[in-house]
Amino acid sequence: MGCPCVVLNTLRLIYTTTAVQKRNVAALGPEKYTEAFIKNQIEEFNLGKRHLANMMGEDPETFTQEDIDKAIVYLFPSGLFEKRARPVMKHPTEIFPKQRAIQWGEDHRPFHFLFYTGKQSFYSLMHEIYGKLLDIQKYQDHLRAQGLLAENRKQINLIGSRWLIKEELEDMLVEKLTDHDYSTCIQLLERLVTLPCCGIEEEYVLKFRKELAIQLKKMVIESLQYDEQGVAFSTGEGKRKTSQATAVVYDNGSGKITVNGVDYLCYFPVMQDREQLMFPFQFLDRLGIHDMVCTVSGGGRSSQAGAIRLASARALCSFITENEVEFLRQAGLLTPDPRIRERKKPGQEGARRKFTWKKR
Amino acid sequence: MLRSVKGVICQGPKLDSGYFLHASARAWLSAAVNQDVQIPAEKPRTVFRTSESNPANHAEQHEGQHYSIPLQEVKVVFPHGLPYRFQMQMKTFNESCLMVRKPALELLGYLKSTNFAHPAIRYVIYGEKGTGKTMTLCHAVHYCAKQDWLVLHIPDAHLWVKNCRELMQSSYNKERFDQPLEASTWLKNFKTSNDHFLKEIKTQQTYMWSKRESTEKGRPLGEVVEQGLTRVKNASDAVGVVLKELKKQCPLGSFRLLVAVDGINALWGRTTLRKKDKSAVSPEELTLVHNLRKMVVNDWNGGAIVTTLSQTGSLFKPRSAYLPHELLGKEGFDTLDPFIPIQVSNYSQREFESCYQYYLDRKWLQHERASTEEGRKELLFLSNSNPWQLERISAYL
Repeated sequence: MGCPCVVLNTLRLIYTTTAVQKRNVAALGPEKYTEAFIKNQIEEFNLGKRHLANMMGEDPETFTQEDIDKAIVYLFPSGLFEKRARPVMKHPTEIFPKQRAIQWGEDHRPFHFLFYTGKQSFYSLMHEIYGKLLDIQKYQDHLRAQGLLAENRKQINLIGSRWLIKEELEDMLVEKLTDHDYSTCIQLLERLVTLPCCGIEEEYVLKFRKELAIQLKKMVIESLQYDEQGVAFSTGEGKRKTSQATAVVYDNGSGKITVNGVDYLCYFPVMQDREQLMFPFQFLDRLGIHDMVCTVSGGGRSSQAGAIRLASARALCSFITENEVEFLRQAGLLTPDPRIRERKKPGQEGARRKFTWKKR
Repeated sequence: MLRSVKGVICQGPKLDSGYFLHASARAWLSAAVNQDVQIPAEKPRTVFRTSESNPANHAEQHEGQHYSIPLQEVKVVFPHGLPYRFQMQMKTFNESCLMVRKPALELLGYLKSTNFAHPAIRYVIYGEKGTGKTMTLCHAVHYCAKQDWLVLHIPDAHLWVKNCRELMQSSYNKERFDQPLEASTWLKNFKTSNDHFLKEIKTQQTYMWSKRESTEKGRPLGEVVEQGLTRVKNASDAVGVVLKELKKQCPLGSFRLLVAVDGINALWGRTTLRKKDKSAVSPEELTLVHNLRKMVVNDWNGGAIVTTLSQTGSLFKPRSAYLPHELLGKEGFDTLDPFIPIQVSNYSQREFESCYQYYLDRKWLQHERASTEEGRKELLFLSNSNPWQLERISAYL
C-alpha cells in the first residue's frame, strides 16, 4: 500500500521548483491598517503630545495643534523647500489615509447589499438622495391636496457656499469616483434643491455644501491718520517680485506723485508704468484728488510700478466705503501678484529652455 | 487792456472765430484776465486761440492761448528752427500755432526794453526735458523777425559736435577742423531768413579764399554766403567771416542782431568726433564752434543773445540734468556768466486746458473717451502736464 503513495509523493517533489517563491508585494495592495493599530497610534500621539508640552514648558491640558506645530518647527528646524517633506506631528487620523474596514463577515458574505456594484457607498448615497427627493415630492403632494402648498415654500439658502468638489466627495465616501459619477450626484442634488419644499431636508443637503470664506474679512482696513495741518493721510505697503514699496496717500491734493523724491514723470519714463500707477485712482474716479509720496526699492521698473500700485490701493482703502473696497478686490488691485522668478534647473539652459537638441 | 481785434485775419478757415471775437470784444473788455471762466462752455474755441499774430502785441491776457503764424512767414522766418515734431504737426494741421506762455512773455518784455548802447545781454532758457524751451526761443525769434532784426538762428548746436561725416583740416588754421556739410546747410538757411540784410551789409575787409578767389572789401555779405555755398570746402570759413562781420558792424547801429542758439551747452561739452588717429576732438578745435563761442561773448552791443540749454541732444550728460551749471560745465558757465536765466516749466492748469482744447478742435484726439472729463484727467495724469509728453500721448489717440 505504501508504494503508490511514495510514487505520488516523489512525483510531487519533482514538480516543485527549487527556487524560493518570492512574495508578490504589489498584488496584495496597499498596506491595510487594522483598527487596533490605529488606536495604538492615537494613544501614542496623545502621550507624545503631553511629553512635548512638558518639554516646551506648557500646560499639557491646553496644548493645541498649533502649539504642537510651533514646537516641532522649533525643535526640528528644516531647510527643505518642500513643506510637505518637513517633520510633522499630527493626529493619526490626518496622517493615515482613511481605509475601509473589511466589508465581509466570517462566512465571506458582504455586509452591504450593494457590495457587488464595486462602489457601494456611492450608489447607496445616490439611493438615499433619491429617497429624500421622493419624500419631498410626497410631502408636496400632501400639501397640495390640503391646499397649503403656496404658503409653505421653504427654500434652502445656497448663497455663500459651493458644492463639494470631487476630491472632497471621494474623501467623504472613502471610495474612488469617476467624473461622470460625480456629475450625476451633483445633478441629483441640484434637482432636489429646485423643489419648492426642499427645506425639510436642508441639513442633509448642507452636508454637501462648503462655505466660501469671505476674503474681505481677513483684510484689516486702517483708519485715516491726520498730520499737523489736519490733512488726512494713509499708508500702504506693497510687494511685487523683489520690489518693496510704501505709499503715503494724502487727501486734498492735486494729483502730484513723488517717487523716491523724484517726480513720477522722471522716475517712470515709460507710459506703461505710469498707467499702472494711475489704475487704482482711475478705478475709483479720484484722479486729481489725492497726492502721493512713495518710496520703492529693489526689482526692475515694471515690478516697482506694480509694488507701488498695490501699496497705493491698500492705502486708498482707508478713504473709501466697504463696497468700493470689495470692487477693488474684485478688480484684482488688492491681490499681491504671486509670480516670482522661476529657478533654473540643471540640465537645462534656463527655467524652461532646454539645450539645443542635436540629433547626433 | 483793449484787445486789438484784427478784423482781417490772415488764415482763411478761421474767419468765423475772428468774427465772433469782433462781436463780443466789448463783453470781454471788463475782465480780460480769467477769460476761460467767463466764456460759456458752448464756445471753447475762443479760449485757446487768439487772433493776435504779432508777437509784439502779446501781453498777459494772451497767456495760454495759441496764435498762428502764416505758413509763408514760417518758411521765411523758420527755415530750420522748429522742432521736428512740431514741423510734422504743422504739416498735419496745415497751420502752425504757438502757445503764448509766461517765460516767453517775460523774455519778450526784456527784449522790448533792451538798451542797445549797453553790451548784449545773454538770456539762458533752461528747464526740464520737454517743457518748451525751443518753442520759447522760436517765439522770441519770430518777434525779432517781425521787428526787423537780423536773426542769427542756430537750430541745434549739438548737430555740430556729433555725427559729422566729413571732418577736414581747416585751411585757415592748421589745428582746427572744418565741417563743410553742416556749415553749408546752415548758410543756406541763413540766406533764406535774412536775404534782404545780406544785400545791405558790406564787408569791411578783403578775404582770400584761395589763390584765385577772394572777396573784396565793400562787397555785400551775400557774396560771402554764395562763396560758402558754391565752394563747400570754404563753407566753415565763410560762416566764420559772416559772424565776424556781423559782430563788428552791429555796434554801428544800422541793424539789430539777435543771436539765437539752441542747445548752447554743446559748445562747452565733449564731442563724439575723432581725429584720424582715434583721439577725441575737443570743441575748440572745430571752426564752427570756435567762431560761435566768440559770438556769444558779450563784448558787442546793439542786440541780444538768447540761448537754450538742451539735454536731449547733449552728449555724455545724464537725463536728469537740466540746471545751467550741470549742463554747461564750469567753463561754459564762466563764459556765459553773467546771464539772465529764464526757467520754463510744465503747463499750468490753464495752459493744459488750452492745449487739450486745441487738440480736440483740430480733431487730433480721435478716441471717444478723449473728449470726456475722465479722458482729460487721464491725459493730465499720464503726461503730468509736460508738453512733450502730452504731444506724444495725443499722437497715439
